[in-house]
Amino acid sequence: MAGDWREEAQALWDRAGKQKSSESKVKLLEEAVRMADSHGDVDLGYQLRDDLIDAATFGGYPDKALVAFAWCRGQQKKDPERFEPEGLLWKQKWVVGRIKEFPHISRKQITDALDDIEQCFTKVDAGKRSVLKLRYQTARDMGDDAAEVDRLWAAWLATPRDHLTDCRACELDDELDHHVETGEWEQALRKAKPILEGRVRCAEIPHLTLGTLLYPLFKLGELERAAEMHRRGYSLTSKNRDFLATMGDHLEFLALTGNLARGLALLEKHLEWTLDHGSFNDRFIFLVAATFLLERVKAAGDRDVVSLRLTKAFPEHRADGGYEVKALHAWMLKQAKDIATRFDTRNGTDRYARRLARIQRLAEEVREFPLD
Amino acid sequence: MDHRFQVSLRGVIDLLSHHLYSSPGVYLRELLQNATDAIRARQHLEPEHKGTVRLELVEKQDGGPPTLVFSDDGVGLTEEEIHRFLATIGESSKREALEDRRKDFIGQFGIGLLSCFMVCDELLLVTRSARGDGRTLEWRGRHDGTYAVQVSEHPLERPGTQVFLVARADMVEWFAPERLRQLGRHYGGLLPFPIQLTVGAEQERLDLDGAPWRRDYESAGERRKAMLEYGREVFETDFIDCIPLRSQAGDVDGVAFVLPASPHFNAKQKHRVYLKHMLLSESAENLLPEWAFFVKCVVNANALRPTASRESFYEDGALSQAREALGHGLRKYLVDLAHEDPRALQRLIGLHGLSIKALALDDDDFYRLVIGWLPFETSLGVTTLAEYRRAYPVVRFTATLDGFRQVARVAGAQGLCIINAAYTHDAALLEKLPHVVEGAQVEPFSAADLPQSFEELTMDERDAVFPLLRTAEQVLAPFHCGVVVKKFFPAEVPTLYSADEEGSFRRDAERARDESDDLYASVLEGVMAAAGGEPAQLCFNLHNPVVRRLAAVTDRTMMKLSVEMLYVQALLLGQHPLNAQEMTLLNQGLLGLISAQLGTGGSGGPESDGGAGSGGLH
Repeated sequence: MAGDWREEAQALWDRAGKQKSSESKVKLLEEAVRMADSHGDVDLGYQLRDDLIDAATFGGYPDKALVAFAWCRGQQKKDPERFEPEGLLWKQKWVVGRIKEFPHISRKQITDALDDIEQCFTKVDAGKRSVLKLRYQTARDMGDDAAEVDRLWAAWLATPRDHLTDCRACELDDELDHHVETGEWEQALRKAKPILEGRVRCAEIPHLTLGTLLYPLFKLGELERAAEMHRRGYSLTSKNRDFLATMGDHLEFLALTGNLARGLALLEKHLEWTLDHGSFNDRFIFLVAATFLLERVKAAGDRDVVSLRLTKAFPEHRADGGYEVKALHAWMLKQAKDIATRFDTRNGTDRYARRLARIQRLAEEVREFPLD
Repeated sequence: MDHRFQVSLRGVIDLLSHHLYSSPGVYLRELLQNATDAIRARQHLEPEHKGTVRLELVEKQDGGPPTLVFSDDGVGLTEEEIHRFLATIGESSKREALEDRRKDFIGQFGIGLLSCFMVCDELLLVTRSARGDGRTLEWRGRHDGTYAVQVSEHPLERPGTQVFLVARADMVEWFAPERLRQLGRHYGGLLPFPIQLTVGAEQERLDLDGAPWRRDYESAGERRKAMLEYGREVFETDFIDCIPLRSQAGDVDGVAFVLPASPHFNAKQKHRVYLKHMLLSESAENLLPEWAFFVKCVVNANALRPTASRESFYEDGALSQAREALGHGLRKYLVDLAHEDPRALQRLIGLHGLSIKALALDDDDFYRLVIGWLPFETSLGVTTLAEYRRAYPVVRFTATLDGFRQVARVAGAQGLCIINAAYTHDAALLEKLPHVVEGAQVEPFSAADLPQSFEELTMDERDAVFPLLRTAEQVLAPFHCGVVVKKFFPAEVPTLYSADEEGSFRRDAERARDESDDLYASVLEGVMAAAGGEPAQLCFNLHNPVVRRLAAVTDRTMMKLSVEMLYVQALLLGQHPLNAQEMTLLNQGLLGLISAQLGTGGSGGPESDGGAGSGGLH
């Protein structure tokens, strides 16, 4: 009997090993983890979770990555000889980087997690660069004081790279977010050049970048280039729910350029992810874009009802597929508002409310550019 | 007059052989590339010019290293061009610079020539330009960086270029006739002009006289036979079929071969790719849509951009259009099979189901065509979806293996047919069904749905189990687990535990919290507080004798203990790992049962047997 479950767990692991990060890979690893736990095999449970953290992080389940990480960290602390810390430290960045995206985790817990990772990194003589980036991103995304955000941005870039720093592609892409945030469109495009030319790349770059740059290109009037990036970027990201926020970028672009039918098709395909995604931030970004799109459909005024094949998990699901635009818009807006309130309350700032209000500005910027 | 390169040629050669080229054999590719460029340039001047490349191997009588004379009747070089290519070599000390210079004719020429130093120490280049003054020039270069340029004493009769390579002693193997034949075929087999190899008195052609897929054949059968033969030659595989490929975007054509066995899951097929008829790569990956991993192909592209590594094509608009067009061709093949030879398609599904499922997921029309033929694993064996739907009006599936395991045995006993959709694409394909096929009903199924198919209790039975129900609810409330009592088969199963996906996730989080440090334990509390979903449920089976007896027990402590143990047993049977609290339950419960057993054994036991074993341990 003892041999049986091991073989079965190994078979699940092998199947997972042949897949890219995805829902099915995460499920296979979770099942194998449960088997290992059922039989009290801590070593196997650790190795499987080590893989699960990766699959969940890059397959769009940051909550599952957090849970797997917390378990490994517990084991690692109990027996540092048996489970070497370095590998887990690398992944701790991913986990801590997303902890702010769960509104039910308190500011104190977020601060504690950041202080903790700083201590962990110091212990192995890693520099401060990785932690400073996390602190910068956290402060920015939580809507902290602008001076503090700027200070952290400068401190991050001024600190040298070390063995635990993210790859150059990821770091460069993270830098772009800053320039887009501050409206420095040309600077963002200049810096993105090595990524766009394919000289700098990694597992998620240029995938993310192509979505990030849509709005800057739109603002600069480079619609042809933006359309090209939309096509390339969407096909790179549309199969992986880790790119939910990037779907939001693409959706916003389609709405801004009046490609409403395409926008609805995208909404139809990816709404499912927003219903149970671990990152409420990513849900929010998609919902805001969806709200904006439906506002454009409303404004076009030629139809009150749209036909959509929405997932059954959608609370307002209709078997006949006919959805009232007004009602759908109201639902998206309400969800987005709820999340914004939860974040802003937790953060003690108004960043999410402001991001929601951005829709009004976008409505004035609309410029038709048919892709078909 | 002797000159010296401005850079260490050794360094450049080193760079080439270690970073740019995978093998010394590449020298022949580079020479062929140069000859091709030169012939094209001449055709530009003289459209009627056909062009020929000649390789002549001169083997020494005394066993010394052989010489290869490589000639083309292309455009040739002028003196000015010779100096330019020398300058290129001089500047080509960086990898980026090398790649950059490849973009122009002269740059490519110089770099291509340099690669010859991987296999020889001295090169003689004799050339006469079609554009020049009719003089024949000679360039003699050595690997140490010295060279000389002069007007040749043996003028060429016609424009063109000859390169003389004397094999270096340790590289003689790269000049063996068999090796030359093989390299020439390999790199230049598709070139649109003759490539002649002369060894002694023997002469042969190395090119295939054009791409095999462009030739005319007597019949479709002949064509198929010839293509499969070609596929075997190229990939050393006996393919089961071939599919023509064509795309206007990128000016691509070729042939795809259907693999005889199911490829490694999610494997990217490595295709053989020619760029303007010169072999570019044997491992190009990004040429076909992702779903099309059931074929390997050979194609020539005239208008796609190679990446710097020359292993695949640059990911641009032309490539994505070409990919779409090629995918369209493969799709058409499958659609034609569906209409003309459904049996063949079914065989193909058996072999390459994953590819076909992936396409069906992306493409509604194709989905409609094949979905009925796709096989699924169910609680009652493997069946195609069409057969399943003929027997059952509602398609029921579980999306995880875990979920399937929980329901399979009991569902089977209830006569329910549940599809195990844990395999790649299966769940997504089934969810798509009602969107594409009018009137189809599809329901995700989990252990929590099973009790609906179970038999309800009679009024008397309800009364009888009420104490059990109440006790169990109290006992299991701290475990976020509700309770029902029903009747189901098989009777030997006393209870059935069911949790939805959120419930399973909550259990994972609980175990992580139990194991983690204070900081992350408190973070996980937050995560669990936010987790939604239905509470888990324990369904007691009144057909089960133990459960019947338990319902009649009056001793509340005994009942509580039994419920706890049944709960833990249900978790273990369903392969749900226990959290710390449940582990405590198990340990205390076992001890409690043992002690209860010992207690009864001590009081009312068969003392009369006089057996020592049944006596109490005190």
